[in-house]
Amino acid sequence: MVLYEHVYILSSRAHAVECVSLLKGVRESKLIGLVQQNNEHALFLYSHRRMAITGDDVTLDEIIPISYDFSVVEVSSPDELAVVGADTRVRVTFLDEELELKLPFGSQSRLFLGEVNRAWSDVCEQHPKQEPKFDWLGKYRKVSRGARSLRKATGASNIKMSQMKKSGKADGGGQKKEDERTVCESQERGKGEVRDDLIRNSQHISSNKDQMLRMPQFGLRDNLIKCELLKNEDAYTYIQNYSFFLGTYNVNGQNPKESLSPWLASAASPPDFYLVGFQELDLSKEAFLFNDTPKEPEWMLAVYKSLHPDAKYAFVKLVRLVGIMLLFYVKKEHAAHISEMEVETVGTGVMGRMGNKGAVAIRFQFHNSDICVVNCHLAAHTEEFERRNQDFKDICRRIQFRQEDPTLPPLTIMKHNVVLWLGDLNYRLSDLEVDHVKELISKKDFETLCNHDQLKRQMDEEVVFVGFTEGEIDFQPTYKYDTGSDQWDTSEKCRVPAWCDRILWRGKDIKQLNYQSHMTLKTSDHKPVSSLLEIGIKLVNDESYKRTFEEIVRRIDRLENDCIPSVSLSRSEFHFERVKFMQHQAQTVSVHNDGQVPCQFEFIQKLDEPFYCKPWLTANPCKGFLAQGGSVDIDLEVFVNRSTAPELNSGQQQLEDILVLHLERGKDYFISITGSYLPSCFGSSLATLCLLREPIQEMPLDTVRELSMKSKSQTSDPETDKPQEIPKELWMMVDHLFRYAKKQEDLFQQPGLRSEFEEIRDCLDTGSLDTLPGSNHSVAEALLLFLDALPEPVLPFSFYRQCLDISADSSQCRQIISVLPQCHRNVFNYLTAFLQELLKHAAHNRLDASVLGPIFAVLLLRSPTKQDLTEKRKVKEFLQHFLVLTPSDRDIHDKPPQ
Amino acid sequence: MAKQYDVLFRLLLLGDSGVGKTCLLCRFTDNEFHPSHISTIGVDFKMKTLEIDGIKVRIQIWDTAGQERYQTITKQYYRRAQGIFLVYDITSERSFQHIMKWASDVDEYAPEKVQKILVGNKSDEEQKRQVATEQGDKLAKAYGMDFFETSAFTNHNITESFTRLAELVLQANKKDLDLLGGSMNEELNLAVLEEQEGLCNGSDDTRKSCWC
Repeated sequence: MVLYEHVYILSSRAHAVECVSLLKGVRESKLIGLVQQNNEHALFLYSHRRMAITGDDVTLDEIIPISYDFSVVEVSSPDELAVVGADTRVRVTFLDEELELKLPFGSQSRLFLGEVNRAWSDVCEQHPKQEPKFDWLGKYRKVSRGARSLRKATGASNIKMSQMKKSGKADGGGQKKEDERTVCESQERGKGEVRDDLIRNSQHISSNKDQMLRMPQFGLRDNLIKCELLKNEDAYTYIQNYSFFLGTYNVNGQNPKESLSPWLASAASPPDFYLVGFQELDLSKEAFLFNDTPKEPEWMLAVYKSLHPDAKYAFVKLVRLVGIMLLFYVKKEHAAHISEMEVETVGTGVMGRMGNKGAVAIRFQFHNSDICVVNCHLAAHTEEFERRNQDFKDICRRIQFRQEDPTLPPLTIMKHNVVLWLGDLNYRLSDLEVDHVKELISKKDFETLCNHDQLKRQMDEEVVFVGFTEGEIDFQPTYKYDTGSDQWDTSEKCRVPAWCDRILWRGKDIKQLNYQSHMTLKTSDHKPVSSLLEIGIKLVNDESYKRTFEEIVRRIDRLENDCIPSVSLSRSEFHFERVKFMQHQAQTVSVHNDGQVPCQFEFIQKLDEPFYCKPWLTANPCKGFLAQGGSVDIDLEVFVNRSTAPELNSGQQQLEDILVLHLERGKDYFISITGSYLPSCFGSSLATLCLLREPIQEMPLDTVRELSMKSKSQTSDPETDKPQEIPKELWMMVDHLFRYAKKQEDLFQQPGLRSEFEEIRDCLDTGSLDTLPGSNHSVAEALLLFLDALPEPVLPFSFYRQCLDISADSSQCRQIISVLPQCHRNVFNYLTAFLQELLKHAAHNRLDASVLGPIFAVLLLRSPTKQDLTEKRKVKEFLQHFLVLTPSDRDIHDKPPQ
Repeated sequence: MAKQYDVLFRLLLLGDSGVGKTCLLCRFTDNEFHPSHISTIGVDFKMKTLEIDGIKVRIQIWDTAGQERYQTITKQYYRRAQGIFLVYDITSERSFQHIMKWASDVDEYAPEKVQKILVGNKSDEEQKRQVATEQGDKLAKAYGMDFFETSAFTNHNITESFTRLAELVLQANKKDLDLLGGSMNEELNLAVLEEQEGLCNGSDDTRKSCWC
């Protein structure tokens, strides 16, 4: 019973959605449902197998009661751009636990979240007057997997979500929606029908293991191929006739007492098929109540013994509902061509359900034709013809054959190429007195009689058996005789004779060879009837089938290939000319979706690379969505900053990269980026700059590379490569400020102009001008940028720790300076002397040590890692020692390098 | 109708720029040939369904950029392949010599079980031939590979070479597939049993009297 409540939830689509749980990077597909009981709500989370069909395929994992502590918020992941059609991501929190879910895009998810939020706000309104108790959740504990199912609504729970690791593999397949539908449907079916073996005995085989083994993405494709094959059936099939013997016999609960050969073996040549139907096989109440009868094997044997002696027959199937039985035999050689056989039964008797009346049916495929055979026993009594019409309709509606592919809807009778319908249809003769009827029969005036036949009349009115054909009746009515004789009913009721037992067909290429009753059989109050049909069956020509099949596969392949996302790029190669330090350059690549489907694009990283592009490059946007026929312009931006400049300056790296533009489920495109970089003193090391006697861009690239290698290894030959004391570029900037900006107010505090910085940079790198261009503030900023861009700060990283440790001790600080590499020591002394000089003019420039100190401290004593507050304080403290004037520090700036 | 299980394989076309990898693919999947050479700049793929030993095999064929500057990037695609075509142009001695380099890259980056075949394309251009068939044969033997000379232009040996590689991949993965197939067969056998039960659900008498 517990399950029924689940079923209810899952079958109500508005309250259940498919989702993907994201747990510690493990994605798992789940079903989530909102369950309501006594105005309390909880979320039920189920894991499910692929292609879940029955209740067995879903497992309750998790129950999250919607209490005051519950919340659900929509989250947007920072690394995922919001695109149209993206999944909705929500975080469900409950007490101290968290669960992240991805719901598929669409109104259904929205509706669901709305319901959940409403349930929660209801709880909040009542809080704290009334707390939900969740007593009803207790019983689900048994159902759900593992011990850790129900999260207690009261008291903190220590159960961590991390325990919730499942064996099932997670995958966001395209089939998800489909799965959910089938779960809902099939469960609904389980709920809606009260199954009772007393009434129905058809076994449903719920196993669909083979389906699970199949990769789901092929399911759709297989159906497509099937569909196409069906459409092109004429191309590879041809018609061949087979004879079908159909028989119907109401045996009035009797045992077989005589040979059935006169009925079953009446044809000259043996028929290919036997479909033999009985009604009233057993009238005992045991048969009625337990659907069990010893007469089944007796009549089966009687039939088998009386089949045409000139052929060997294989028994194929028996189906019985109380007294309605259908037997199916086929010539041995045809058995191999019968497939996809299913049986169904439907009771239309007492209460419209019991099996005293109703029908049994067998469906099968013979070669390429679908055939359905129905044996029925419709409602009795002359005046009840409308009830019989209704029974017919109920049978047509309620007989539903399971399909091999469980995702396909069940097959009804009328979906078959050929429908053969036999049985005690119970239609009588209307508007005639019994004597008149008997007189007409004796005159063999069946034509007049037929005009009074209820079935013929109802069929003429097209209210029953629409589309069916019945052959001409030229045998006398088969009901009702005194048992054991050919005498009409002599009982008190003295029933009017009628053609109760009938055989009809529906379909193409069917010809009746014979339609007759068999008067010699006297066991029952009915006479058996037989019909011999010649039915054109579609046979497959293997050769042309193969051709057609291959053609279809080819077509679908092509379709599929056409649907692979595809774009065209305006260009695939980009060259950036004369790229300079801190100078932005951009070019645009236009991406046009020339495929037949919308697509999602993204630049993806290459093997062993941390990011999709080199640090000096960005693509904007780097991912997105493109509608069919749509275009997007992507800016490719190059910007060399202090972290990328050193390797480019030294020639260790070039401006070269290849971007990989990836389309989801599609191709990859390469975009190659090249550029010529103009090396700069910004981002070059002090040691290298000291070795460069010319402006950096005036030197051949190879020399720069060679010198920077030398400066690194420090194996320079002091004779040939006598380095300058300090870099000339530094001297130029400091000297400029020394000359013109000593008294400049707010020096180092006001920003410079970007354009002027570029001029200053070019001047330093090319030596084009003797004096620096730009305002004092721009030069000051250039100086700061220069220091900031040094790959190794003035106080090298290796000294950083030590400097901090001794920052309180002035003499130790000075001691450290004396052991710095020479050019670093020179630069340090030069800069501190300059700063002291500035401080002398404090009256004009309003600078003091507490302003200048921090600005330069963080540049000269740069941290290799992120600094904390104490470190920052110590860095400032360190520099303060040098901003106090001492005579020995003086005069260095009076000695500029050549 | 017996159910078939599907398998999906990834095959990769490798070789110098201009040897005709894209043309081989187009000929095989679309039966088309475009004589003008447009360099593939990136990685393209197409799908094709084949039937091998009654198994429906769907193959995804990846066509890679052959130009040297992209080779560091295309290498990252190797590890997803189950089969690799090493393609050279019979009218280009150079492209043939480069096969050694391609093969060693494959050894380094592709999965161990990967299947390889050697393809000498443009066999229709006999008058421009620089690589003798024997040379191709010899190299293929040295590497233990199958060898085909093909022409995307005349459609010579195209289906043969693709089918052959698919077969090799299928064989190499036979064990895994048999596991899958084995359980499938069990299912089929079960279905047969159910059918037989249906036959015999009467009493002993009837069982004697009916056969199948």
